[in-house]
Amino acid sequence: MIWKDRYKLGVTLIDEQHQELFTRVSDFVEVLRSSVPWEQRVEKVNETLNFMKDYVVTHFHDEEKYQKQIGYPEFAAHKKIHNDMVKYVAEVASQYERDGYNEQLMQQFAGKLLAWLINHVASEDQKVADFVRKGVVEDE
Amino acid sequence: MNNPLYAPFFNATRDVFKLMLDLSNISDKPLLDKDVSAQDSKINIEIGIIGDLQGKVIYHFPKQTSLEMVKIMSGMEFSEIDDFVTSALGEIANIISGNVMSTLSVQKISCDILSPHILNETGDTTEINYEFESGMQICTDIGSVDLNIILNTK
Repeated sequence: MIWKDRYKLGVTLIDEQHQELFTRVSDFVEVLRSSVPWEQRVEKVNETLNFMKDYVVTHFHDEEKYQKQIGYPEFAAHKKIHNDMVKYVAEVASQYERDGYNEQLMQQFAGKLLAWLINHVASEDQKVADFVRKGVVEDE
Repeated sequence: MNNPLYAPFFNATRDVFKLMLDLSNISDKPLLDKDVSAQDSKINIEIGIIGDLQGKVIYHFPKQTSLEMVKIMSGMEFSEIDDFVTSALGEIANIISGNVMSTLSVQKISCDILSPHILNETGDTTEINYEFESGMQICTDIGSVDLNIILNTK
């Protein structure tokens, strides 16, 4: 998973968190896709999953705080996207535990997470940056 | 009669491929039977549409195109279609379809999509007659993706 400078919003805290998310998801995918037997990978997978569960909530909270601060008009819709993702991650984590750490479920989760995160950062979050840029231009 | 979702689906697919996969050379053409190759295995993903328009769109991702897409997103090599690849492409289909529904809502057409559903190898679905049925082939530098858009107006 490759971070690109064009994903930057120009808000240091959010940009750093996005880069951290990309790094963590990359590590997660790498461990998940390695040819080492599942039993030897499961501990690292669980560790990363637990980190992401918390980190995603922290990051979304910081992003929403910033959006409120700038009066982003699509705040409610953006927050709903965040809430849906947090709910999805929690549901998968809970099912994963219930099923006894099933590899197939994690492969499906990671594939969706990869595509979701790229789209969210490259598209949805860029709308926030566009709003800020537009505001700056109009103020001039 | 022209399928009202043909242009929105092409535009949304082009935009998503550009943003997520950095593909810029993207074109479309109507899908003809001769364009459908039975030899290359495909991932077939159905997204149901409900609301003012009802039906479905079926995405056909050929194996090599699928593997290339996931490679671009992850930076890793993939040699076979598996749960990870299928799920990543299901999410791409979900994102494209969701964007189309947002476009339609601006035009006061209220629709929603259902979760991606993976179809069998041939992508065959039940035989029902629909008001609009059209196929498009979206051509990119990493291969083509076929879309079948099948729907009724309420």
